[in-house]
Amino acid sequence: MHPFDLKTVIFAKHAQHVVLIHFPIALFLAGVLFDFLAQWTKRQALAAAAYYNFAVAAIAAAPVVATGLLAWQWQLEGQRLKGILLQHLVLGCTSAVLIWVVWWIHFRVQRRQATLLLPAYRLPLEALGVAVVMLTGHLGGFLSGVNAPG
Amino acid sequence: MKRYWCALGVAVMAMLAVAMLGAWPNSLAAGAPQAAGAAAEVKIDNFSFGPADLKIAAGTTVTWVNHDDIPHTVVSTDEPKLFKSKVLDTDEKFSFTFSKAGTYAYFCSIHPKMTGKVIVQ
Repeated sequence: MHPFDLKTVIFAKHAQHVVLIHFPIALFLAGVLFDFLAQWTKRQALAAAAYYNFAVAAIAAAPVVATGLLAWQWQLEGQRLKGILLQHLVLGCTSAVLIWVVWWIHFRVQRRQATLLLPAYRLPLEALGVAVVMLTGHLGGFLSGVNAPG
Repeated sequence: MKRYWCALGVAVMAMLAVAMLGAWPNSLAAGAPQAAGAAAEVKIDNFSFGPADLKIAAGTTVTWVNHDDIPHTVVSTDEPKLFKSKVLDTDEKFSFTFSKAGTYAYFCSIHPKMTGKVIVQ
């Protein structure tokens, strides 16, 4: 396999999906933490920090979704998934959508430069996002073999 | 008395037969190749193939059974791929008949550290 072949970064030995996934997870969780703190303390700086974390998380989620879907298509030849693989796919896509929706809610308000007017419904949505992201990561960890001996 | 000796003889013969039957699978496990047309099983458990190296005779059908909670695949290392299973969930099986002598390496495409070998004699 050629080191600069696109499939090299997708196939399991060099798969980047398991590397890239840590960025949106960390950024989204940090963003939610900042947003909850901003809501509690009413500090503009924390709200801004939350917004930038969500923005980079939304960007970082795109290659993660792409590499995951390409791994399914190339490594497993797009065969019909079931069990943990299917759950990981569905929850992963749901996580990405939730990250993008949360960013979009913040983006709309940020564009009008009125961060303290963020809708209250975003907070349960962000909490749901955290739960789904953690569940997806838990299944992904199982799939990648972190429990494997050696 | 004669009846007693007959009964004892039958009992000894039966015990010998049971002992021989018990020893039969052990001789296979020791690495002796199986007869052509026979079947062999490779267990997938705890992220490994067992046995990792399997010796068989040409014409033997090997069945891989996934006993893990995690999905795995069985994919030939050779290009073009001689055999390639679908994703095997828990307790699912994949079989392939090896008709020619040679060494066939394989791996799990989801977990490439999982490797095995079938040696066809």
